[in-house]
Amino acid sequence: MRVSGRDDGAGRDVLRRVGEASVLILISLADGPKHGYALIQDIRELADVELGPGTLYGALDRLERLDLIESLPADDRRHPYRITAPGAAALRAHLDALERVSAAGRLRLRLGGV
Amino acid sequence: MDDPRATRLVERALRCYPARWRRRHGDEAAELAALLIRDGGSAGSIALSFLAGAAREWLTPRPGQRLSTATCALLIAACALSVSVVLVASPASARAALTPTRAKGASTSQVRGPARCRPGMAAPVPGLIRAMGQLPVIIWEDGHDRAC
Repeated sequence: MRVSGRDDGAGRDVLRRVGEASVLILISLADGPKHGYALIQDIRELADVELGPGTLYGALDRLERLDLIESLPADDRRHPYRITAPGAAALRAHLDALERVSAAGRLRLRLGGV
Repeated sequence: MDDPRATRLVERALRCYPARWRRRHGDEAAELAALLIRDGGSAGSIALSFLAGAAREWLTPRPGQRLSTATCALLIAACALSVSVVLVASPASARAALTPTRAKGASTSQVRGPARCRPGMAAPVPGLIRAMGQLPVIIWEDGHDRAC
């Protein structure tokens, strides 16, 4: 999804191509650090999406490489993850872009009388 | 995980990940799988998710791997080329290619009258090999003649 002209500079939507799982993880981490199991449970409640453990770790690694999240010291064997400041900014930009598209879609549906 | 079969299945799937990944997430992933199975998750689907994740992990290029991937591709191409050259240039294949012509005593120096070009025969192969060294002479000498 290209949102040209509106996603440059500080509000650049870097989450356009990371996939739904990564966005859901960032949304889940927005209210505080969580480890893998807590993330899966939270995303199930939040979005009714069952995230597989393989998908979860792939997305966590990708987000960490992009500096959008960071791993905290292990609690027992579990690594909690925390959203970083760039991660929060990227999530905000992505949600703004989705909101614009959503509003445009609703308007067109209304105009089209569908 | 209480079910030993489920444990084995998940452990096998986790072994498919690169060692680097296992060092970092291995224990935690095994514990997470145990919790998901305890919650009623299917060991098969959890193992499948890990397998897909492992495949992605192997296929995703890392910053340090780009050069080595390119190097590997070049090495494979070089090996394939070398094998082809060796196969084509090996004395055995050259002899085999020459055999039908020689057996009949029909080298081009002995051909009399207009001969026909036979592209399906092996005769051009030695011509090609020798052509690496002395192109014009050999091609006209073996396998091709003035009628081509």
